[in-house]
Amino acid sequence: MQTKIAKIGLKKIGFWLLLAVIIIYLAFPFYWAVNSSLKTQAQLQMTPGTFVPRDPDTMEISVFLGNYKAIFQNGEFLRGIVNSTIVATATTLLALVTGSFAAFALGKLRFRGRKPALYMILAMTMFPQVTVLTGLYAVITTLGLDAIFSMILAYMLFTLPFTTWVLTSFFKDLPKEIMESAQVDGATPFQTFRLILLPLTAPALVTTGLLAFIAAWNEYLFALTFTSIDPEARTIPVAINYFTGVVARQEPFGETMAAAVFVTIPVVLLVLIFQKRIIAGLTSGAVKG
Amino acid sequence: MKKMSDLAKKEQKLAYKLLLPTLIILILIAFYPLGQVFYTSFTDKEFASSNETHFVGFDNYKKLLSLNIEELEPILNENGEQKIDPETNEPVYERPIDVLPREPVRYKEFKVFNIFGKRYVLGATDPYFISALGNTLTFTIISVFLETVIGMIIALVVNSNFKGRGAMRAVMLIPWAVITVVSARMWEWMLNSNRTGFFNILLDKFNLADGQIAFLSKDSLQLPSMIAVDVWKTAPFMALLILAGLQLIPENLYEAARIDGAGKVKQFFTITLPLLKPSLAVALIFRTLDALRVFDVFQVLLSSKKYSLASYNYFQLIKSREMGMASSIGVVIFVLIFVFAVSYIRLLGVDQNAN
Amino acid sequence: MFSKKSSIVAILLVLMLTFSVFAVGCTNTEQTAGDAEEKQSENNNSNDEAKDDEKVTITIAGGAVGNEYELTKKGAEMYEKEHPNVNVKVLDTPDLADDRLGLYLQFLEAKSSKVDLYQLDVIWPGDLGEHFVDLNKYGAKKVTDKHFEHIIKNNTVNGELKAMPWFTDGGIFYYRTDLLKKYNLDVPKTWDELEKAAKKIQKGEREAGNPDFFGFVFQGNSYEGLTCDAIEWLYSNNAGKIISDDKKITVNNENAVEILNKIKGFVGTISPEGVTGMGEEDARNIWQAGNAAFMRNWPYAYGLGNSEDSAIKGKFDVAPLPHGKGSPASCLGGWQLGVSKYSEHKEIAADVALFMTSEKVQKMRAVEGSFNPTIPSLYEDEEILEANPFMGELKDMFVNGVARPSAATSPNYAETSELFYKAVHSIITGEEKAEDALEVLELDLQDATGFETGEPTKSN
Repeated sequence: MQTKIAKIGLKKIGFWLLLAVIIIYLAFPFYWAVNSSLKTQAQLQMTPGTFVPRDPDTMEISVFLGNYKAIFQNGEFLRGIVNSTIVATATTLLALVTGSFAAFALGKLRFRGRKPALYMILAMTMFPQVTVLTGLYAVITTLGLDAIFSMILAYMLFTLPFTTWVLTSFFKDLPKEIMESAQVDGATPFQTFRLILLPLTAPALVTTGLLAFIAAWNEYLFALTFTSIDPEARTIPVAINYFTGVVARQEPFGETMAAAVFVTIPVVLLVLIFQKRIIAGLTSGAVKG
Repeated sequence: MKKMSDLAKKEQKLAYKLLLPTLIILILIAFYPLGQVFYTSFTDKEFASSNETHFVGFDNYKKLLSLNIEELEPILNENGEQKIDPETNEPVYERPIDVLPREPVRYKEFKVFNIFGKRYVLGATDPYFISALGNTLTFTIISVFLETVIGMIIALVVNSNFKGRGAMRAVMLIPWAVITVVSARMWEWMLNSNRTGFFNILLDKFNLADGQIAFLSKDSLQLPSMIAVDVWKTAPFMALLILAGLQLIPENLYEAARIDGAGKVKQFFTITLPLLKPSLAVALIFRTLDALRVFDVFQVLLSSKKYSLASYNYFQLIKSREMGMASSIGVVIFVLIFVFAVSYIRLLGVDQNAN
Repeated sequence: MFSKKSSIVAILLVLMLTFSVFAVGCTNTEQTAGDAEEKQSENNNSNDEAKDDEKVTITIAGGAVGNEYELTKKGAEMYEKEHPNVNVKVLDTPDLADDRLGLYLQFLEAKSSKVDLYQLDVIWPGDLGEHFVDLNKYGAKKVTDKHFEHIIKNNTVNGELKAMPWFTDGGIFYYRTDLLKKYNLDVPKTWDELEKAAKKIQKGEREAGNPDFFGFVFQGNSYEGLTCDAIEWLYSNNAGKIISDDKKITVNNENAVEILNKIKGFVGTISPEGVTGMGEEDARNIWQAGNAAFMRNWPYAYGLGNSEDSAIKGKFDVAPLPHGKGSPASCLGGWQLGVSKYSEHKEIAADVALFMTSEKVQKMRAVEGSFNPTIPSLYEDEEILEANPFMGELKDMFVNGVARPSAATSPNYAETSELFYKAVHSIITGEEKAEDALEVLELDLQDATGFETGEPTKSN
């Protein structure tokens, strides 16, 4: 009996240990960014570097908030947050709606040309960004699109294939009895899709949505080019890269880290909010085969 | 062919309607840029140049991919024995530069190697491309493998019931959420070659090194550093997709297995893994696709010390401005990705028809 | 299962569709480009003549470092005051040179008329020259002799002045005055003296308890900065500057081998092993923390080194870089203004460029932003010297300016430089022997430029 309890206890300890290792692995580099963002230039240059910001002379803990002050005084950065939110949200919604339509067709309906369609959609995203940039820029100038809209459209290049493929695989997994029983009840296929499939795959939708959102939030190269002529439309990654030092060549490393830390927080909050929904959707027992 | 039933026709019509928005977007933004890449790859177009563009057929591809092997003869001294370099005490062979052909195209040294006591040189018309190809494949295979394993472990842990797992899900996504360009700089700072960098501080603290390890300029440490950065950044992506797949697995299957007395490990291999296949396949496809196109980490951390295919592509475009050549590199990446995607789909058998 | 047939069909379909769409798109853009050009020339005439009744907007794409954006704007406002019918807009671009270049290339590839004036790095007039007008035809001839001769020469490609010098930069040598005094040493004048002094100080400081201390830091990463450092090494040892002004490849010579082997010897001894991965900021971080005795860097490190929280505030000074067989060299850096050929108002744009680079505006930028003028006489200006006492010393170093061979190799400088810094990097990391690497480099440069080989020009 005692050995059994010990075994369970040991298992528990093992589990928490594993959890701790994972958390440290994932969060420590981020902690290092936080640590760096709270240092002055002199503190950053110290050898050896310290695990918390310390004064170079006295070695007392000394936190520097100037980097955060600087980014809040930077109008472009704050505007970047607004722009990024607009672009990433619109991209995600567009990619989820069109993607789930396409995925329903590809995962649940029988029609000619299904496989070519699947591969064509994937082919959209098989080139490196640098390669397609010039062509894309030409398309956007020809169409005369404004910067925000061109980013949303251009981000379809990598978000749409992703949402379509992931959702297709999830739709396909759902047992066909669900569809059949709905059809018996007189529902049209589209009603089945909207009323039954979508709610059932909520976790997949939220997951793909989150990943697509972050991908759009983080995109740099397209945004740099498309907003070059329109500074008002710059997104966060571009705004951060426009940070400069006091003089040319100086890299404002502390400020960059402060910005990185600061813009990661809303994304993490977003995850927290939506994760609850996933768990809720699941425990209600909706997804039972 | 069988005549379609009305119902089937209706279904087909609906399918086309549903695909229409995707198709419109595809035509709008993908066809011209993608077509241009294919087309340009067969020309000698220069970027931002008024020089006339010519159609050159497969020349760009030939220039990227041509290889050649030559034997390096030993150099003999007056006595007919092989010369020994007085500085290094190594036997002297012909130099690759004297042996490799220069006409009609010049082959440059890629690697010198020994087989059966003979020395050879592998020449390439574009050795940087060949090494970029090698780097990218090594990088992709190792990092995707590690990401899958680590992602799986994270997903399984997070999927089990414990207090605070909501917070854990948020923590789990931090690396993926940090802006890519900035995360590369963050790691550059951590990998600094003196004791301002975290890893050098750590190694120095435990007396494992002198605190002066140049992670990013030492040849043997460059790829491992890149892999470490990428695995950290994208394991959460894998974990989240796997997690979503795990949650679609009906709980009652596990209950049934438990009643049958199957252990956790057995449950994993008989239930979890097979049912996870479709989501795993999609996750693998997109992860591999991203890894084969890896750009930011290589460009920021290694610039032109070591290339990935995409960063070589970038430097070809910006520095040499050879757009034709850059496009053919793009096409090579395209083909590689296609091969990987198709093999995943076949291996994991996820492309059955809709049921 | 996925069948072979359908995969082939899919690929073919993708290819066919893309090709067909491209064929249509291709002709379209060509047409529109042609149209645009025609329209542009029409516009040109009408606009330049009808200056008086409508307001013309000129856009400058430039830097936005610190107060640079504000100062460019201030310059623009000064121009607007004198020319009320012109509106000068300033468009900020990234500080990272490669990002900025990539952006410019996209604009120029699209023949965009949205940007009229480009702020150009000193190495770009050569490579991008075909997109810029000859400023000599727009009245620059009268003022060119006021500027540093070597910058004008650098900006002149095949006889055409592609850009006006705006502010300049050059490689300089930083040394710690306190340490030289402590170890009773003079400012090193040659590379040998530098090595000796660095060794002595490094040994002493390490024994005194600073294991992170190094003698000499520079830019050894495989990037454009290494070309700058290495051209200084070569030129100061009578090894030429890769490619001579008369388009001969001169890099493969004994003096080059000698000096590169010397620098290779620094790595891992007086310079950290990691110096082969360092850029300007990495070197400055070590230097400013007080962990180096000497540094090669640009003038920007001077002000920062004297900032309030700097560990070496008031403990250092600058001098010309050390030399070998030749005389000291300072790699020419800095920025120019060029007028785009695709501008709809070239005349006005050129006028703005001449105004922005004039003595008046350069003086304002020097006083308020410490931008180094390209006009030698301004280095004697009292107001400027009062604001930047350090600028007086700089002039002597800028006079040693060596331009990278961007004009001679036009439009292949970027490729030339990439081949060069990769070769130098392979030498100083010890991957290749100097003789071999330079021999291969010579062949590579022949392939890239089509030039013959020749003897290096001597620096003294």
